[in-house]
Amino acid sequence: MTTARIARLRRSLVPMVALAGAGVMALTGCSAGGSEGSGTGGATEFTYLSLTENTAVADTLTSLSTGACKAANDALPLKISNQPQASFDQQLQLLAGQDALPTIFAAGNTPQLAKDLNSAGQLLDIGATFQELGVSNDLLPAATSTISNLYGANIALPTEFNVEGIWYNKQILEQNGITPPTTWAELTAAAAKLEAAGVQPFSASGEQGWPLTRLVGNYLFRTIGPDALQKVADGSAKLTDPEYVAAAAAVADLGSKGYFGEGVGSIDYDTSLNTFTTGKAAMLYMGSWALSAFNADTNQIGADNIGFVAFPSVAGGSGSADQLAANVGVPIMASKKGYNEKVGAWLTCIADNYGAASLGDQGVLSGFTVNDTAVEVPPLTADLQTTIDSSGDSVLWFEALFNAQATTTSQTNAAQLVTGAITPEKFMELVQADLGS
Amino acid sequence: MTVTASAPARVSSSANAARPVRRRRRMTPRRALDVTLKTLVIGLLLAVTVLPLIWLLLGSLKTQTEWLNNPSWALPENFLNFENYATAWVDGDIGRYILNSALATFPSLALIVVLGVAAGFALEVLVWRGRGGVLLLFLAGIMVPGQMILLPLFSAYFQTHLTGTIWPLILTYTATGLPLTVFMMATYFRAVPREIFEAAAIDGASIYRSFWSIGFPMVQNAVFTVALVQFFFIWNDLLIALTFTSVGDYQTIQVGLLNFTGQFGAVQYGPTFAAIAINVVGILALYLFLNQRVMRGLTAGSVKG
Amino acid sequence: MNNVFGNKRAVLVFVGPALLVYSAVMLVPVLWSLGYTFFTGSVITGFKFAGFDNFTKLLSDPKAGDALLFTLKYAVILTVGQVLVGYALSLLYVFWLRKASSLVRTLVFFPIVLPTVAVSLLFQKMFEVAPQNGIVNEFLNLFGIASVDWFGSADTAFLVLVIMDIWRSMGFYAVLLYAGLLDIPEEVMESARLDGAGGLTLIRRIVIPLSLPVLLSSIIFSINGTLKVFDSVLALTNGGPGSSTTPLTLLMFRTAFSYGDYGYGSTIALALTLICLLVTIFIFRSSRRDLTKA
Repeated sequence: MTTARIARLRRSLVPMVALAGAGVMALTGCSAGGSEGSGTGGATEFTYLSLTENTAVADTLTSLSTGACKAANDALPLKISNQPQASFDQQLQLLAGQDALPTIFAAGNTPQLAKDLNSAGQLLDIGATFQELGVSNDLLPAATSTISNLYGANIALPTEFNVEGIWYNKQILEQNGITPPTTWAELTAAAAKLEAAGVQPFSASGEQGWPLTRLVGNYLFRTIGPDALQKVADGSAKLTDPEYVAAAAAVADLGSKGYFGEGVGSIDYDTSLNTFTTGKAAMLYMGSWALSAFNADTNQIGADNIGFVAFPSVAGGSGSADQLAANVGVPIMASKKGYNEKVGAWLTCIADNYGAASLGDQGVLSGFTVNDTAVEVPPLTADLQTTIDSSGDSVLWFEALFNAQATTTSQTNAAQLVTGAITPEKFMELVQADLGS
Repeated sequence: MTVTASAPARVSSSANAARPVRRRRRMTPRRALDVTLKTLVIGLLLAVTVLPLIWLLLGSLKTQTEWLNNPSWALPENFLNFENYATAWVDGDIGRYILNSALATFPSLALIVVLGVAAGFALEVLVWRGRGGVLLLFLAGIMVPGQMILLPLFSAYFQTHLTGTIWPLILTYTATGLPLTVFMMATYFRAVPREIFEAAAIDGASIYRSFWSIGFPMVQNAVFTVALVQFFFIWNDLLIALTFTSVGDYQTIQVGLLNFTGQFGAVQYGPTFAAIAINVVGILALYLFLNQRVMRGLTAGSVKG
Repeated sequence: MNNVFGNKRAVLVFVGPALLVYSAVMLVPVLWSLGYTFFTGSVITGFKFAGFDNFTKLLSDPKAGDALLFTLKYAVILTVGQVLVGYALSLLYVFWLRKASSLVRTLVFFPIVLPTVAVSLLFQKMFEVAPQNGIVNEFLNLFGIASVDWFGSADTAFLVLVIMDIWRSMGFYAVLLYAGLLDIPEEVMESARLDGAGGLTLIRRIVIPLSLPVLLSSIIFSINGTLKVFDSVLALTNGGPGSSTTPLTLLMFRTAFSYGDYGYGSTIALALTLICLLVTIFIFRSSRRDLTKA
């Protein structure tokens, strides 16, 4: 209780002191942390708390620190620590409770946590800071708009920018005389045809849950429109409304016809990807982060045999297929308290160089512009870049605006929805119940 | 059935000494059935325990492609594929995690044993007011879920600048290990006849001396048992290690095992199993080395009232 | 002599350090967390006084009810399973294997050494249905029984969880109970045998009553562990399918740290602690024997 009181007191103190003038900043720096060192205020190391499961960002930052960002790194050395996904949110909460967030850190698993941190005044306003640093042009507008849709403010560095849709095996579709589906009717017809021909139509990981709920979300965006889930967040619509339940029913229907194959609830992520890249399933709903897997040698069907199509439109719906589902993966956030000029230098350097470094070294598309034309890109990745550039607005995903509890409920019950263990009504009821609290 | 099972054992030992081998072959049908049943049960028991371990070792030799495309009980295609071990050791840095685990585990164990045995002695052998209450207080600690102490402890360690060192792990493990240890040590000391300490006191031995030269040696085997049980708790702990080790470089082996998992749920099975195998073989070596003492310990001082 | 055993300074020297560490690192944080039961919120959003709201919420929360039922079901079944299988094994060691049991004891003991993450991966693979049948389903198919999606329904997932945890712990309990059986004087057994008490009668009349204290310790040890099950559920089923295998500990952890309601999380933890306490007292009482002499 005492720390909570102190933390609150401190939080209300900081803005007042900041008003009194920049010179006093040093004082708050000293009084608040102690472990942060003294003198300059803000960070003395460029600390990055990484998700153990995501090595791409840490690797890119490390390579920048010895390359393009060497000067920034000499002034403020990069120091990376890791925390696994399972306990990442807990760790962020505990650190924030001590007012001791690292200089930059991976956003937690749920957007809600970032929103809480932001409303507690702990996060750096990336939009304003980039403006100040004169590097706003380094951000892709699509990525910025995704972040704003998601968090309600521009508080994240888009170290990843993914679009999602249906990847298909060109050869299998051709053999069965199917053209890439652009409407839901075509998609279900194609699935029926494939199933009849003895080919598993879709591969999906029910163990993870999200690959299934993504379908429900997209269906909603296509039928009700891009604001379908914003309405739920605002309270002007409920997931238990018939037009929302219809989306869950449509996905459950795919499951009841056996289109996801056997035991979908225990299929893990690797297996779902592997089923597709070994040619055992015709289609896979997945994000563009899977490109690195598609471009790898473990892909037995060949990268040039893979096509991408946006989630199809639904007849009579108000959404359209050119509204691509997009996300920023687990973006990076910065601590407001840790910010100083040296951190600014780092951020400037990241803005200018991250796009090229990430694409070149890791094959990961980021939300930063690629400022180096010499970066070599595999053809499938280049195709996707074109798709992204020509697409219109983006939409989020099913759980994007949910609280953590509803997110967990949605993802852990997704497999039951497609196996028929619970009805679409029950599924939506369970999720809606957790949105309330 | 137990009697019929144990009686022939005695017969056979005398048969061994006195009678020709031929005679043993002529088993009664009942005894033959008995032996068959025995072999069957023990064989089944061993299969159930040992086969998974073999599976684990075989799994560490498979490539990711084999993991995903071959049946899970298939043998590795190449028995000399030690690439996973290289990955686990070099990229996964398993050596460092094991070292961290050792750095956290052994000091905690030493503290648990020293503090726990002394407290058990005081609670059972010494006579003072309130000892029943204190014993109950320790007993209550067995019932508290560990999740409950995480948040306050995190704040406390942070305010005292212990965060980022190995101390949060050592202190937390010691404190969570104490209740069971104190409780068990108290019951062990109860089994030691009181007259022994009284005789020592009459001979003029101070209480410290009779603890050190009589009490401690008498429960030595029990100490060993308790230390072993605590060792597994601490070595296999994930919750506390996850909470107190992100800042700083003291992540333990259990946290390290999660390093082969990807952001979207991908798992590198081969290196994970290689890392587990390294961990398990290490413990197995230690365990077999200490086994005789352990079993003797468990046998000598049983947990009884 | 009472001076020696009643030496106040000695008491302080012996019990002081343990009590100090235990109080500072466990008791104080527990009381601290109990204070949070009257608040709502998290360290980020700040805490607000909520009176008894958390307690009324707990009583009407269907999730907490489900988690409580699951916890009790798991604890009872697993305690019975662990202790029974362990006891059976220990009888086997004493009466069947006798002196030769050392190697068997060692091997059966070993699974408890394995990391939980490893054991759950093992069981997931053994019981898997897709993309390939695991060994269990293959075995069923041999007898013409169709493959089962073990992790697809609550009951079968629970079954796998129980099998896994019994497999893991049976050797441990076997050795613990074996130690108790060895303490039964050989003369008692011998005279029982001579009196013609055969087989099961011997066990029922002599062995069980004499090993009751160690059985009781094992049961208390087991029930307090199983009521607080966390690791194995998290690693094997992650509480699923749906939330059908979510125990109170996992609900508490998620509520406090993922859902950002530390106060309610602490209330769930308090409820769990009280249950552990009640169950322990109940076992003590029903055995009419107070092991702590307190």
